[in-house]
Amino acid sequence: MTNNLHLGDFTSNASNSVTIPKYYGDALVKLGHEIPEIVVLTGDLSPATECDLFRDIFPDRFFTAGIAEANMVGISAGMARSGDIPFVHTFSVFLSRRSLDQIAMQVAYPNLNVKLCGFLPGLTTLLGVSHQAIEDNAIMRSLPNMALVEPCGARQIESAVRAASAYEGPVYLRLHRPSKPMSPAEKLLPLEIGKGQLIIEGTDAIIFAMGHMVDISIDAAKSLLPHGIKVAVANIHSLKPLDTNFILENSKLASVVVTAENHSIIGGLGSAVAEVCMDHAVLPNKFLRIGLNNTFSSIVGSQHYLRAQFEIDHNAIVSSVKKLFNL
Amino acid sequence: MSNETNRISIEELKRNALEIRKNVVRMVARNGQGYVQQGLGAADIFTYLYFSEAQLDPKDSSWLERDRIFLSTAHNSALFHATLAQRGIISPESLLSYTNDGSALEINVSERLGSIVEATCGSLGQALSVAAGVSLTAKRHEKSYRSYVILGDGELQEGQTWEAAMFAASHHLNNLCLIIDLNSLQVEGHTDKVLKMEPIDKKFEAFGWNTIMVDGHNFSDLRDAFTSASNEIKKPTVLIAKTLVGKGCLSLEGQLSHNMILPQNVAIRALEELGERYD
Repeated sequence: MTNNLHLGDFTSNASNSVTIPKYYGDALVKLGHEIPEIVVLTGDLSPATECDLFRDIFPDRFFTAGIAEANMVGISAGMARSGDIPFVHTFSVFLSRRSLDQIAMQVAYPNLNVKLCGFLPGLTTLLGVSHQAIEDNAIMRSLPNMALVEPCGARQIESAVRAASAYEGPVYLRLHRPSKPMSPAEKLLPLEIGKGQLIIEGTDAIIFAMGHMVDISIDAAKSLLPHGIKVAVANIHSLKPLDTNFILENSKLASVVVTAENHSIIGGLGSAVAEVCMDHAVLPNKFLRIGLNNTFSSIVGSQHYLRAQFEIDHNAIVSSVKKLFNL
Repeated sequence: MSNETNRISIEELKRNALEIRKNVVRMVARNGQGYVQQGLGAADIFTYLYFSEAQLDPKDSSWLERDRIFLSTAHNSALFHATLAQRGIISPESLLSYTNDGSALEINVSERLGSIVEATCGSLGQALSVAAGVSLTAKRHEKSYRSYVILGDGELQEGQTWEAAMFAASHHLNNLCLIIDLNSLQVEGHTDKVLKMEPIDKKFEAFGWNTIMVDGHNFSDLRDAFTSASNEIKKPTVLIAKTLVGKGCLSLEGQLSHNMILPQNVAIRALEELGERYD
């Protein structure tokens, strides 16, 4: 009998997955060496949030709060008030839903240097509706002082962690474990809080995307090219502060503006882009928000299956953009 | 800072508590309503903590080595401000601006007043967690300052209080002292009628705390209790301090009124009961 069976993380069926490096955990350890003020808290989810790597290197700076997220946020506030830089780990739902009051009053209002690291955003889990954070961006974005960062994949995780730790003030770091390792050809992407990033140029339409919807949007843009539609793709890794000028300039160039997010279409990226465009009277001919359409997920399945069911996958983007061009 | 505060006599403590009580009545009377009952009830606890127990620099409330006092009952603000004024941390004149438009002195105290307010509470049950985080870091960095939390008994109904209680004991935060203002008063009346919480001492003992029952109006007992807390080497300490709402004003004592209407004639009688003369 083996006693070496490792914990799974429920982002996918273990039988389907190859070994994927812990990009976030590795980045956190690197920063732990560089910045002695960094401390780590976990709500009984160290392996799934990859902070087990930090635990093993820096046991004196690692604290278990147990399954008590509201208290954990308060503890982190006390530590930040004492000069530490706490990184708080749990799933996104348990930060945004369960601990909102504590985050608002003990972290955001006093503008403390706490990094709230939420995993399993949107539909990236097999664990069902209780674990799917579909409105976390709407909630976190509405809190004064809170910055909101989501890297677009493995190639941007380290720069996201670096940017969050260098930022003075509270940051909600929306993280998901990549479903495949980086390919050798992939290059690391920088990340600057408050800046947008144009990944692909295109003159007919632009997709503003967040998180893993960036790669899906890039693939969709490639699929649309043979149909004669040149689609630009932008990575909005910083939902707040939002790069308003970037969004306005790029929206002016395209007649069709699309947003793609692993989140409800209410209150997140789509809403933010619409607000900016309306505020500045930049009115695209057509505007489309791709995301969960005011619904909880009531379907069981893998993230790939769920994205197809809720029409936030590659095929959905291709067909809906074609429709906007009457194709 | 000096330890001279700890040599203050019980007579001096009583004199300060009396002046503080008078200001509580005056401040609430100016509004016509407020937390006068809780203020009078907890005045002795506040006086002991700010005058005799905590290491503070009245001239520099952000002194890094200060003891941290968390007011979880942020609405007990007439008492809080009156205590700060009596201790010389804010000016006595500033009490006149309590709750005025644009004043720094608000109904639920927040850190807008400065670092004398260690965390913005008001949303009940949050302070013990923050204080535990401060205590945890203080221990890790071998700092000698302690954390004190003044908690209303009604806040024991908040689940987060018990999450924090478990955490503090689990992490051996002997530099953390929780003072429960056991006044039996919450918005809807007597705590027993709203949600029974007894036996509170046995609950904290079961959670692994150094648990002390104390008369919240007896300075000698308070001194013994706080000394026991300081001498504790492993556990966090809770002082369950029994208090009487309206204490010191015979006509108000025991009246369970949370945000009490305080007409001028009632306020004048209360001040007379505190020894104030009106000609």
